[in-house]
Amino acid sequence: MSRKPAKGEYIETDTGNKVSRRSQIIGTTNIILGGKTVIQAEVIIRGDLLRTSSSVPDGGKQSNPVAVAIGRYCIFSRGCELRPPGKMYKGTFSHYPLKIADHVFIGPGSIIEAALVGSHVSIGANCVIGKFTIIKDYVRILGGTVVPPNIVIPSFSVVAGRPGRVVGEIAEGEVEGFDLRELYRSVGNNT
Amino acid sequence: MSSKRHSTAPPPPKPPTQFSSTSSLIIADAASLIGTHLISLSSNTIIHPRTKLISTYAPITVGSNCILSERATIGLQSEPSEGLSQGVVIADYVVVEVGARVEAKSVGEGCIIEVNSKIGKGAVLGKHCKIGPMCVVAENEELADYTVVYGNGMQRVDRSGVEHLKFKMIARQVDVLRKLIPGNLPKFINRT
Repeated sequence: MSRKPAKGEYIETDTGNKVSRRSQIIGTTNIILGGKTVIQAEVIIRGDLLRTSSSVPDGGKQSNPVAVAIGRYCIFSRGCELRPPGKMYKGTFSHYPLKIADHVFIGPGSIIEAALVGSHVSIGANCVIGKFTIIKDYVRILGGTVVPPNIVIPSFSVVAGRPGRVVGEIAEGEVEGFDLRELYRSVGNNT
Repeated sequence: MSSKRHSTAPPPPKPPTQFSSTSSLIIADAASLIGTHLISLSSNTIIHPRTKLISTYAPITVGSNCILSERATIGLQSEPSEGLSQGVVIADYVVVEVGARVEAKSVGEGCIIEVNSKIGKGAVLGKHCKIGPMCVVAENEELADYTVVYGNGMQRVDRSGVEHLKFKMIARQVDVLRKLIPGNLPKFINRT
């Protein structure tokens, strides 16, 4: 590896985000990072796929349009992709914002086209999350799952399979394992 | 400080390209077209950033109103066997989603190839086929029109007759993407 030693792999922002230099983030102005989020190498975030359904923004606001909104302490592993979903509505095609809450872990190679991912959700490696899926809080999606489009996954579910189905529940005692603060600290230029 | 390091290897040669219309075709700047054979693309086709079209072993032909998403790899990845010299031929209104790998001999009109699926070398897809996420079509497999491949390699035939709606949706999607994705066509023009 002929990487320059002075510069580490991650760029750390003021709000504590650790973004890999080798991530592929498109449309940065339309992405909100809540802080303390890790974006590893080869992650693609499609911020350019904006809502286009109405040319006038909602309520005439002048703020930046949002394509991808991400909360705090989220970890996006190597090679995963976040892509706002798109559909036809009332005769026009539009993309809709992808919202991700706090403490969300996304495994390597997973492709997320969900509408909403709740807090403390853990998505394994090489999953495909279908368009407009809504994942509630405390959900674990095992590796290799293909979650079909437009479904709602209730809180405290374990989802697996092709197509993904709820295969179990998360017991109350297991909730501890979802806190990503430790993992966030372990990622960085020094390790 | 952006001190550009110059790589010692020369950049790979651009593949010869043929575009039927230069106004309505969008190729994102970060897309990669590599290889030595002809890549021909038709009008209203959208190529997302980070899409790979590889014409190292055989030519690639893509019809009009197609959407090729990021990380998708189109083109043969090994030496073509006999009868595959025309390479990969993709008809009109084909959507290739994220991460799909298409080495098919031909993909029929209105096919949807979903996330991370693989179409083997020499496969022939009929019209309006749908290949579900992470599904695999074997090498030299032939799928009849309207076949849906889903789950763990299961197949069924879908004749719900909504093709015109699908075409309309793809056309609208192309219109939207054309506004969203800045194209950089001149970078890829290489007439021979």
